[in-house]
Amino acid sequence: MSDDMRDMLHESALRIFADNPPDLWAVLQGAGFDKALLAESKGGAGVSWADACGLLGLAGEHAAAVPLAEAMVGHWLAERAGVEDATLPTIAFSTHPEQIRLARARDGWRVDGTLPRVPWGRTCTHVAFILGPGTTAQLVVLARDAAGVSVTPGHNLAGEPRDTLLLDGVVPQAVVPAPFDAGALLAVGAIVRSALMAGAIERALGLAVEYANLRVQFGRPIGKFQAVQQNIAVLATQAAAARVAAEAGTEAIDDWLAGKGEPLTQSIAAASAKIRTGEAAGQACAISHQVFGAIGFTEEHDLHRFTKRLWSWRDECGNEAYWSLALGERILAGDTKQTLWRTLAPAASGAATGVAK
Amino acid sequence: MNNFVFPRPRQSELGEQLRAEVREFLDGWHGDRHAAAAFGGFDPEFSKALGARGWIGMGFPKRYGGGGYGLLERYVVLEELLAARAPIFAHSVADRQSGPLLLKFGNERQRDDILPRIAAGECYFCIGMSEPDSGSDLASVRTRATKVDGGWLVNGAKIWTSSAHRSHYMILLCRTAPVAEARHAGLSQFLVDMKTRGITCRPIVNIAGDHDFNEVHLQDVFLPADALIGVEGEGWQQVTSELALERSGPERFMSHQGAVEEFAVALKQQRSAEGARTLGRLVAHLSILRRMSRSIATMIADGQEPALHAALVKDLGTCFEQDIPETLRLVLQTEPEAGASEAYSAALANVILHAPSCTIRGGTKEVLRGIVAKSLGLR
Repeated sequence: MSDDMRDMLHESALRIFADNPPDLWAVLQGAGFDKALLAESKGGAGVSWADACGLLGLAGEHAAAVPLAEAMVGHWLAERAGVEDATLPTIAFSTHPEQIRLARARDGWRVDGTLPRVPWGRTCTHVAFILGPGTTAQLVVLARDAAGVSVTPGHNLAGEPRDTLLLDGVVPQAVVPAPFDAGALLAVGAIVRSALMAGAIERALGLAVEYANLRVQFGRPIGKFQAVQQNIAVLATQAAAARVAAEAGTEAIDDWLAGKGEPLTQSIAAASAKIRTGEAAGQACAISHQVFGAIGFTEEHDLHRFTKRLWSWRDECGNEAYWSLALGERILAGDTKQTLWRTLAPAASGAATGVAK
Repeated sequence: MNNFVFPRPRQSELGEQLRAEVREFLDGWHGDRHAAAAFGGFDPEFSKALGARGWIGMGFPKRYGGGGYGLLERYVVLEELLAARAPIFAHSVADRQSGPLLLKFGNERQRDDILPRIAAGECYFCIGMSEPDSGSDLASVRTRATKVDGGWLVNGAKIWTSSAHRSHYMILLCRTAPVAEARHAGLSQFLVDMKTRGITCRPIVNIAGDHDFNEVHLQDVFLPADALIGVEGEGWQQVTSELALERSGPERFMSHQGAVEEFAVALKQQRSAEGARTLGRLVAHLSILRRMSRSIATMIADGQEPALHAALVKDLGTCFEQDIPETLRLVLQTEPEAGASEAYSAALANVILHAPSCTIRGGTKEVLRGIVAKSLGLR
């Protein structure tokens, strides 16, 4: 995709989010953002994951109450697995299919069990998830209104649907070999959350700066006080780190898909994205609320639309502790003679060793 | 709102070749790893060996003894040296700041005379910026150079001058005109031979027991006219142009890497979920800082001056470093002892004792955050 195309797409998304029409999700779908990751030949925009990072950041920055991230991943997943009926309008995905049983019946497959806290479970038309390890992994796609599916509504702190789906002898729409295993899908989900968080943190920063310049106490804007300035500066550094972490994570997906670099489940950048943005989110929420004082603690004020999402997203698809443990164990399980540094900064595969310049 | 864009770092193919070469060189080097020196040991023999390989002054043009490399290649070499805890302290100031300063602002005699010796690993520099009454507020320096017949006469005092007692030259910031309305005007920088008469150096021992920094007195020190660097009165611009280099490099988040390495080694003997989680978190921070720092190197290589990004990364990087001992000490039960035979205990002691300086040297975190706040439109 050309830089011009990328900028146009970004501008167009920004306009839609800023307008915030009452039928926001329909407008986004109409503009094709839910299928942005699909190739143009498949009705998509052919954006890379690195580009998608920017689009998701905008959704986070505007606290958009839409299943954009879910649908982007869902359509991409179905398309990669070659699920034919790509008219599936909104596909949510579940990263927690641990309590699902898939069994063969005489006339096909049956799915039983519980899918906990499916993002936007009640509004989606289909749900996709991956079962089984490694090369035997299977992608399962269910229609949400299929017989045997019942929905128990739930919410995250921001009021976004996180619904539990009870499945009782459900006939799936598709069961196909998965393009990768559930671990990789969890990593994708975590990186997608990181991109949303980076945007929401930037918004918290923007709001804090704006308010600090307006709110007058002791005869001057509170932004004139060094104590307040220093806190907001910390918020800005966390915002920058979160953005870089999300970009590194999405680029790791692109590299993995292109066959460059490591599998996503081995990538340091992929695991680091959620660790770093999750940590930044906690600090961003604390500092922005401190800047706003009592007014930011009211339901009436906008700030909580961003901070509640941050407090929710950081615990979805694995929190900092989950990914830190996974990354640390992976490193410790590696070559015991290798230094930490050389694990972190591997010699480029193409580089000749010992060749003098 | 997105004030700070960090472009994707560019990977240099030549740099990756160099990485392999540097690793091979380091694997064959069996000197002291200086686990006990957070900022790297001072070892002229090592510096000369590096110089012989062409890994000092890498960015200098070839006619000055450099390799004509770009910043991205230099970055790779530097991070490998830091990660290996190689003793680079003798030449590192000259390599990072003073050499590039002379290259950019110095006169032809200064460049011809000095740059090849820096590149050979034989010529070491100290930075004469801070004074007893001028730390963070650098523009208030009072050391004064007065024009006299054939040159300048300098009087004043510098403090916290790292390696002044074993450097060949100092880059001296001083006042050459009275304080005007613009406080940053009237400052100039000079190239000072440390053997010049009138310079006395008094050691200051830090809390880790190291003699690193010094108090330097300059009494009626005569400097020849051509000791002036660049244009009289433009010292402040020179200083700020050094800052992006000084603040954004890997030395701002890797100086405690030795302790993290020892921690990882110790963890392999003493596995725990808490240990793995701690290690994973540190690696995540390190990998993101590295990406930000390499992004800045890419910007500088492309001709930008990302002073603001550099301030931000130094704040993040040094807070990360400072936090390392606080994080590690709670995982493995170890009493820190400087110089202990147990490597992890010694490394932990070392970083505990050096940690306070991380967020002070090269610009306090308060000053850096002030710069970031100003850029956001606060103040």
